[in-house]
Amino acid sequence: MFLTPGLVLFAFVFLAAIVELFATSFTDWAIGRDISFVGLKNYIELLTTDKGFPTSVKNTLVWILLQSTFHVFIGVSVALILAKKKWYSNSVRVIYFIPNVISSAAIGMLFTCMMNPQFGLVNKLIEKITGDPFTQNWFMSPDTAFGTVTATWLPYAGLVTILVMAEMSSIPEEVFEAAKIDGATSFQSDIYIVLPLMRNIIGTSTILAATSMLQKLDIIMMTTSGGPGYRTMNMPMYLYQTVFSNNNYGLANAQGVLLILLGVLCLVIIRKLYRMDED
Amino acid sequence: MAKKILAKTGVFILLAIIVIISLVPIIWVFGASFKTNGEILSGSLSLTGPLSINNYVNAFRLAPLVAFYKNSVVVSIVATCLNLIVCSMAAYIVVRCQFKLKPVITLVFSLGLIIPSAALLQPLYTTLTSTHLYNTLTGLILVYAALGMPTTFYVMVSYIQTIPYTLEEAAYIDGASFGRTFFQIVLPITRPAFATAAVMEFLLAWNEFQFALTLTGDTTKRTLPIALYYFKSAFATDYGAMFAATIVVIIPSIIVFILLQKQVISGLAAGSVKG
Repeated sequence: MFLTPGLVLFAFVFLAAIVELFATSFTDWAIGRDISFVGLKNYIELLTTDKGFPTSVKNTLVWILLQSTFHVFIGVSVALILAKKKWYSNSVRVIYFIPNVISSAAIGMLFTCMMNPQFGLVNKLIEKITGDPFTQNWFMSPDTAFGTVTATWLPYAGLVTILVMAEMSSIPEEVFEAAKIDGATSFQSDIYIVLPLMRNIIGTSTILAATSMLQKLDIIMMTTSGGPGYRTMNMPMYLYQTVFSNNNYGLANAQGVLLILLGVLCLVIIRKLYRMDED
Repeated sequence: MAKKILAKTGVFILLAIIVIISLVPIIWVFGASFKTNGEILSGSLSLTGPLSINNYVNAFRLAPLVAFYKNSVVVSIVATCLNLIVCSMAAYIVVRCQFKLKPVITLVFSLGLIIPSAALLQPLYTTLTSTHLYNTLTGLILVYAALGMPTTFYVMVSYIQTIPYTLEEAAYIDGASFGRTFFQIVLPITRPAFATAAVMEFLLAWNEFQFALTLTGDTTKRTLPIALYYFKSAFATDYGAMFAATIVVIIPSIIVFILLQKQVISGLAAGSVKG
């Protein structure tokens, strides 16, 4: 009885949508056309003749790879530093997390303003330093668009830092004392004692970092909309365009299925890499 | 010794960069939101010129920010209450009762973790249009309450597990019913976990963009993050107002987080360690 409200909510929002997603991914369904079963046609089209989907997958994969390596590395490094409990540790941790608590739409807006070719802070600073006018259009020029979009999320690893620090506080103090007595420097004890104990939480952080790249729609919409060309197109943005610009629902839902499968694949691979199924 | 100084400098630079990239964009936009369009375009970095709140007046005039604000407050608060009640009841059952389908229930409540929300764009649109909940706050509330299910569920489960059963036993011996025990004995004890889950769910609903954009159609039903999208597409030349609108949207999230940082941090830890 107590479970009913939860199950109803789940069925209404998730279950119905997931069933529809899988079922209609095998149909030809677009605005102004009757829905009809076409088997694997949508999937074949996406993987062979579609002009934007392969690029969106490639970009998404590159971002997943960057996020699960550099992003996690930055977050873990900051956690190891802040765990040394200096006077500034808690303030830095809180400040570092602020970008994670504000709406990503707002992050997109902040970066659009910061990187604006005319009045953005970045170009203005470069002008101040070099003394020459500088009008790089970071988000819209093909050479810098990908890197600039990456910069809106790659360094913001506050979540990783908080998760690792929370787990570190569960290591008993004696472990560090023993290491110290044995003559280990704090760097050595970080590398040989702390990191191995953190394997599970770093794995979890990596999963969160990787799968977050499958949801980055808001920032892309607020900055580049996937352009120039398909330079910063990712899977959610392409799916959004397929639904709301092309009104091709069958094709969009096949992309949705592939998006879920990619998420599961990330989960399985990262769990294997970090040997998270043991212990 | 030289090595040590080098390491210290490295640490200092890294932390300085972290603080700068986290704060400077916000502070810069905040400062610029009090300048005129001309001052913004000329790119003066100083805060000397006369500061005015004109941009904020303009922002509220250009976009129906008051309506957006009201919607955001209603949606976030109701979604949070609904999410907390539904998930804490389920968490209680999962912790205290033994039944065959328990793994299935746990799976149901964690499934949201592995479904990228973009995948559900079109199906949820269908669900809401076919139930006449498209373009209603109710529709958004239900979706947000469901999106937050995994986090709240895990936060509540891990907390209820730490409550000794003897308390409830005493209540049953005194003749209290199952429901009464839950609402009068268990819920009051779980207040800290409740607070944590509430902050997380509130931030989720307050910040959400994708479904707010696709599941509502007209300005009377939209939430704050969409205001930014408006400014970007419709009033992209009034930079001052755009800056002001950005600040108006992010300030509540930052205040909630600064005031309730303990809850947020412990919530993240509890929610993800299990997942």
